Parts: sequence; C-alpha cells; structure tokens
Amino acid sequence: MKNTLEFKNVNYYYQTKTDEIFALNNINFTVENQQFASLVGPSGCGKTTILSLTAGLLKPSAGQILLDGQSKVDTSKIGYMFQKDQLFEWRTVWKNITLGLEIQKPKDKARKLELAEQLLKKYDLYGFINQKPRSLSGGMRQRVALIRTLALEPELLLLDEPFSALDFQTRLSVCDDVYEIIKSEKKTALLVTHDISEAISMSDKIIVLSHRPATVKEELSLNLSGETPLKKREDGMFATLFDKIWRELTNEQN
Amino acid sequence: MNKINFSKTHKQYVRRLRTNKALIIFFRIFVLVAFIGLWELFAQTHIIDPFFFSSPTRIVKQLIQMAQAGTLFTHTWVTLYETLLGFAIATVLGYIIAVLLWWNENVRRIFEPYIVVLNSLPKIALGPIIILWVGAGTKAIVVMCVLICIVITTMTMINAFSSVDDGKILLLKSMHANKFQIFRKLIVPNTMPDLVSVLKINVGMSWVGSIMGEYLTSKAGLGYLIVYGGQVFKIDLVMSATFILCILAYLMYFAVSLIEKRYGRK
Repeated sequence: MKNTLEFKNVNYYYQTKTDEIFALNNINFTVENQQFASLVGPSGCGKTTILSLTAGLLKPSAGQILLDGQSKVDTSKIGYMFQKDQLFEWRTVWKNITLGLEIQKPKDKARKLELAEQLLKKYDLYGFINQKPRSLSGGMRQRVALIRTLALEPELLLLDEPFSALDFQTRLSVCDDVYEIIKSEKKTALLVTHDISEAISMSDKIIVLSHRPATVKEELSLNLSGETPLKKREDGMFATLFDKIWRELTNEQN
Repeated sequence: MNKINFSKTHKQYVRRLRTNKALIIFFRIFVLVAFIGLWELFAQTHIIDPFFFSSPTRIVKQLIQMAQAGTLFTHTWVTLYETLLGFAIATVLGYIIAVLLWWNENVRRIFEPYIVVLNSLPKIALGPIIILWVGAGTKAIVVMCVLICIVITTMTMINAFSSVDDGKILLLKSMHANKFQIFRKLIVPNTMPDLVSVLKINVGMSWVGSIMGEYLTSKAGLGYLIVYGGQVFKIDLVMSATFILCILAYLMYFAVSLIEKRYGRK
C-alpha cells in the first residue's frame, strides 16, 4: 500500500452564491506506487479539482481519499507542480529551489539541501544557481520548478499541465526530462493534461474523465515500448490508443 | 561587455546616442539659465515689477541675509523635520494598516467604504479639528502631513497585496506555508516596487502636508515664511522660501530614486 493513492467514491460540489456546481461524481481510481498516471478529460471537467483534493487544498464533499491506505492524508508526502513555473523573480535559482525547505524547516534540512544540490548537478542546472530565473529559458525554468518540488522529497507528485506554457519543441524535450527525473527518482505521479498524446507517451495508466459532473469513464493501462516519452510515440499502439481516447472524449461532447 | 569588432554602423549609432544625450543635457541647462537670465533682465529693466515678481539677484541677497542671521537654517530645518517625520509616520503606519486589512478579508471589507471616504475628503477641511485636538504648532502640522499621506499609502499597498498572483500563493500553500510565511516570503518582496512608488508619491504629498499645516498654524518654517511674506508683500522672502522648497523636494525625490534603482520595478 506504500505511496498508493486511492480515490473512493469521491464527490465534490463547488459552492457559489447562486449555484451549487456538481463537479465530481463518484470518482474511483487508484495510482500504484511508482506508477505514472494521467487524468484526461474535456476542459473544465474537474481534473485540477482532483489534484487540489489530493493535495488537501480542498476537502471532498463525500467519499474518501487514501494515501498509503490512510484516510488522513499526510500532505507532506505530496509535491505539487503547476502550469506556470511560479518561480520568484527576486530569488536566485538556488533560493527558489530551497523555498520549500525554508518554509517547512525539516529536521534533516542539511541532507535535503545536499539532495537539491545533487539534483541540480544531475540535471545540468548547477551552473545557474546564482542566476535569477529571468535569465533561464522556459524549459530550464520548468526543470527548476520540478527540482523545487522534488527538494522536499515528496513520494507523490501532482503535475497540473506543467508543460502547457511551453512551445511545442521545448515541450517535447522537457517532457522527456521530467519523465526521466520522475522515473529515476522513483516517484509516483499524477498528471493532468488536455494533450492526449502527452498522456499516452508518459503514462502507465490513463484515467479518462467525462464531462461535468466528472465520472471515471475508463481506466487504461499502458505498456508502450520505448525509454522516453518521445520514443514511446513511435510504438505501433500509440495511434490506436490516441484514437480510442479521442473517440471517448468526442463522443462525450455529442 | 565585449568590445570586439563592432561595425562602423554600430559606432555611428553609439555616437548618435551620445550626441543626443549631450544635447538634452545642454538644453536642460539652457532652459534654466535662460529663465533666470530673462527674469533678471526683465526685472532690471522694469518690464516686470520686481516688487511683485522679485528677481534672481534679490532672492540671492535675501538668502544671504537670512543665512547670516541664521534664520534660513532654522526655518528650513523646522519644515524639513515636519515633512520627514510626517513622511515616515505615514508610510510606516499606512503600511501596517494595509497589512492588517490584507490579513483579514472581512476586516478589509468592513473598512473599505470608510477608507474611500477618507481618501476623497480634502484633508485641509480637518485643519481646525486637528488644531483643537492636538493643539497648534508642530504636532498639528505633522498630523496634517500624516493624514494626507496615510490613506493613499494604505490604499496603494492593499491593492498591491491583493494583486499578488494567486498561483504563487497556491504554490506556498501546497508547501504548507502559514499566512505569516506567505506574507514574508511572497507578499513583501513581490510588492517592493509598489512600496517604492508609494514612497515617491509620499515625497510629494508630505511636502504638501507640511506646507499646508504651516499655512494653518505655525511660528516658523518655509510655509510660514511664504504666508508671512505674502501678507507683508515681501515677495523676495516668498520666492526664497519657494526656492529652498524646490531644492529640498528634489533632494528627497533623488534619495527615493536611489532606493528605486535597487528595489523598483525592473
């Protein structure tokens, strides 16, 4: 059960002054330890809501969210990566990466700082630690954002369309980088994306959501050959899977 | 900066930039010299009446005379002291109030209409009340100065605080930051440029406050000299005091612009 995320019959309602929006309807899924799972679905269906619920930023209206089989989710095990890198322009790369450590002041801070340093070296960012984020490219910024998340040593990573602000070419290579980092650091990941091919190329599992109120339409287990997301796109099954998910999503709209 | 092998066009471009800059500086000085020169000339030839318009030489004479008597520094110091004190109190207090309002959304919403009213109220209208409450003199002048600066400080800062990117706040929340940490790590550094703009606004406003305060009630200060000079038709005195004011206001603005270079919006 270690590092496993489970959603059990989760419902969520958004409250507004004049309305009550039924966002999630009886959501059930599991993400296993070290699995890379993706949530795809029509825009506005509640994908990000699922991440916010997991991170404890929202509370479910009904149902249970379990991490390690515990209903009281230990949110310190969760790292959240956003659509925008959200780097602080007034801090250097190093100061950005250690932001979480500054806030949480963990007991093993020294060791975690060392880890952050290693990650920076490993992913070719060490030469930039004293620079301000504005001198980095979009792809580098996104990698810094990932390392900032990893520095806190989360077991489960929540990725909310972390590549959507990048241009297509950068996107493919950052995708590869991030995938490699997550796999080699042995993390569990839950990715939200509207890009079907991105989901297929990165995931071990794809959870297809319906229109609002979102239900789980389908859970697909994937096993494409290829070391990197880019290579996985060459697998013969890629097009078939793309078609299948595409149809699921477009049927939805009619 | 590498200085290798720039093309001829680049050299020409740089030269053009330099020439342009030199021209601007030249004409800046020229305007000032021409203004002073023409003023003096017209006064000497009585095209304008120096009794009403004074003249540069009369101002210089007046200043020297006051400097010898020692009154120049006394009056200047009084006004400078009031202005700096009012400026400092208003900025610090205004900032603290903005923080309190940011801290609690409901508190902000409760006080919002009152702040708007206070902002649109001409503070000079409160003059008599201030004098009655804190007494005539320096205290009343500083209070006037504070009143003029503080509302705009609070309003600008609370707007700046609330316009900080929600995504960045969410990031800190996902790291389990508490409200104080969000304030210290994100809100304060992110709104530094806004604080600098507030300082710049307050430089101007605090002079307005202290001079207005001196118009209301004072026994010394540059505002006092201006009112007194006007009443007894000593235009040289009025002009001299105004001249000192110009210089002080500029120096204060210059000091803030140094801060701006360090912390302002890039």
